[in-house]
Amino acid sequence: MVVYSFYIFDRHTECIYSKTWLPSFSSADPSPPAGGGGGTTLRASTADDAKLIFGTVFSLRNMVRKLGGDNDAFVSYRTAHYKLHFYETASSLRLVMLTDTATLSMRNVLHQIYINLWVEYVVKNPLSPVEHKGGAGVRNEMFEMGLDQFVRGLM
Amino acid sequence: MFVFPHVTVFALIIINKAGGLIYNRTFHEGGLNKISTNDYLVLAGTFHGVHAITARLNPLRPASTAKRSSTSSVTGGGSGPLTRPELPSGLEVLETENFRMQCFATLTGTKFLLFTDTTQANVDLTMRRVYEMYTDYVMKNPFYQLEMPVRCDMFDRKLGSYIREINNR
Repeated sequence: MVVYSFYIFDRHTECIYSKTWLPSFSSADPSPPAGGGGGTTLRASTADDAKLIFGTVFSLRNMVRKLGGDNDAFVSYRTAHYKLHFYETASSLRLVMLTDTATLSMRNVLHQIYINLWVEYVVKNPLSPVEHKGGAGVRNEMFEMGLDQFVRGLM
Repeated sequence: MFVFPHVTVFALIIINKAGGLIYNRTFHEGGLNKISTNDYLVLAGTFHGVHAITARLNPLRPASTAKRSSTSSVTGGGSGPLTRPELPSGLEVLETENFRMQCFATLTGTKFLLFTDTTQANVDLTMRRVYEMYTDYVMKNPFYQLEMPVRCDMFDRKLGSYIREINNR
């Protein structure tokens, strides 16, 4: 299995953390000026992706709630090219992960990330703010390292 | 004898290429919540938009657009007639705790949404059969106007008996 990217959205619908594990992505990232116009569209698209993902996930979640009842939860969707996994906590924190299509349900993995990494390193951090505006408090070394190790361990 | 895994089909929705609801039928009571026709129309429109976004969100896309822009100097990911790598694919399967939704989008943009229970069974086969019925009894109906709501007795009857057969298996 391959994990493409991971996003966290807070209850104010803001993307407070995003990370990609795409090899082509990281090699294209440091050289946006070299590509000229192409480089800027690439950068803009990565920033817009988070917004598009949130819009998709939000619409689908509402659709699922309407059809399946209030206690139904949107788990994942799959296209021919990728699969998106979704996990929402009781405090409306939304975790989204994009993987390849062959991956089975990652709900428990997202739950593990929430309890073992988010709660341990972000919530229990006394220096971390209550609201993570612009990703403040999430981008700490412990969380990033733990997440990277955990996801690389899956692949 | 080969035994099919039991699968229940809850409902079928057909959305035209403009995002309008043209067919909506429930086969199994209790699978999905009852919602009004107006809500179904909203749902069809919402899904139409979401489907378009999911096709754009492909994480493997940046590499291909970068390659394309360097070869044809086209920025903004415009797909030229010369370079057509592969068809973008929108949402195909949606899974939730209570149901599973299979989406089949035809090349002309019509979308078939089949709502089933969560067991991973052969929904592709059912979907293909439904599409065959649509081509046979809706498309070949001389009185059917394209992109308009489907009101064909033959389609209703054949679909009803086919799905009943699956649900009673």
